[in-house]
Amino acid sequence: MLRVRHLEISDLITAVDLADGRRLPVRRDEVVRQLRDSGDEPAARIVAGLPADRDGTLDPDAVDRLLISVHTELQRLSEELRIGNRLVHLLGPLFTAIRADGGHPGPYRLVDIGCGLGYLVRWLAATGALGPDVELIGVDLNAALVGEADRLARAEGLDCRFVHGNAFELPEAATVYVSTGVLHHFGAAALAGFFRTQAASPALAFCHFDIAATSLAPIGARVFHRARMRHPLGRHDGVVSARRAHDDETLLRAAAVPGMRALLYEPRGLSNPFCTTLRPILGVRPQLEPPLRQALGRASRRLVGPEHLGPVRGEATR
Amino acid sequence: MTPAVPLMLLGLVDAAFSGFRAYAGRDARIRKARGNLRAAGRGLAVGAALLLAPTLAAALLLATPDRARTYAALTSGGWGFLLPLALYAAAVLLSLAVYFTLPFRAGTLAMVIGLGPLTLLRPVAVATACLAAALNHGGAPALLVGAIAGAAVLCVEPIVYRRWYREVQ
Repeated sequence: MLRVRHLEISDLITAVDLADGRRLPVRRDEVVRQLRDSGDEPAARIVAGLPADRDGTLDPDAVDRLLISVHTELQRLSEELRIGNRLVHLLGPLFTAIRADGGHPGPYRLVDIGCGLGYLVRWLAATGALGPDVELIGVDLNAALVGEADRLARAEGLDCRFVHGNAFELPEAATVYVSTGVLHHFGAAALAGFFRTQAASPALAFCHFDIAATSLAPIGARVFHRARMRHPLGRHDGVVSARRAHDDETLLRAAAVPGMRALLYEPRGLSNPFCTTLRPILGVRPQLEPPLRQALGRASRRLVGPEHLGPVRGEATR
Repeated sequence: MTPAVPLMLLGLVDAAFSGFRAYAGRDARIRKARGNLRAAGRGLAVGAALLLAPTLAAALLLATPDRARTYAALTSGGWGFLLPLALYAAAVLLSLAVYFTLPFRAGTLAMVIGLGPLTLLRPVAVATACLAAALNHGGAPALLVGAIAGAAVLCVEPIVYRRWYREVQ
């Protein structure tokens, strides 16, 4: 029997040269083969139906249109699940803590890594939820998504900007790195490197939201994506995302990097899985933890460090 | 009292929501209250047109010689049709009330166990309503009108989507 590896179609149908951000051609039969090898025949059939030229290279314009369409539907899920409010619930106190720290006068800069259509950044700009001293930047390796995010922001006159490229190569340093639904794209080993890069930067904190890895998540994702997503690619990748989501221990272990205090908000056992579909892993400079907890108030009881894993597993994270 | 009025109202409200759903996920702007209203209006217009079909079907059935008996069957079947739909509508309204009035965690709960699955259950609710119409002394006439009405309300969303929202806005 084939061992099923969980691959997301959207990860496979676009490729970018990481050195210069250039779009690379993707062969349809190669993607189909990868998906078949992973044991995911339905996904292989979805890709086999995508338009390609006579050489079998996926039509980049069609792929871009498809990804924009799927990400627009994905934004609907974020809207319905009030992801903006969920982020501000933590980012508000985080910026309060940063302002209270005194050593870091504003303005501050929030960088959304893998922003896609930039819903979070545009929502924050539209609501002004973090205050006027926070500059909002979205970054993504996908030029089409970034272009669409920029178009949407300009159409509504929003005070934010979008950059095509690597979030860690921006000319200006971020104060806080954030992301939503990005972490499960990394394997456990790459995850630690991702956090280490942010810890080595001048950033004061990171706050990355991803699907809460509960036993209900794949079932919930299947029902919800079936109800809300129209294209089979969106439905497929939504369910795979839930299956790939990292558990609490993996996240806390990976985020425990030098220079940052790893904290997980709403871990299993301290949250209702029906109420918490996404939850964040944070890394804050150690001096920021007390003011962050103070700013969070009663909600800080839901914020736990690696010691939450228990004495034996906690030791392993140090 | 005839169940036709509450059934028609329910159908029109459902059509407006169907218009909203057809638009949802096709416009990534942040501020889209006007777009939502326009979509609901389009759903309402399409729904009003489609709901003429069951109305016409009922009128044709009532044009038969045994009009009083058919009227009684349709009335009885109509109440049977209304009951499951009213329960469904109550569940939707409760979920919406929780979603719009309580904090985001409760809103997530309302969406995850309420509004999301309830969207998928729409065909089941309609099928149950048809069955209830037939069983509640409505017989074949109520089943026929109910099936046409059910098909009409289920068609609103795909029609609005294909007509106005196939492409991302």
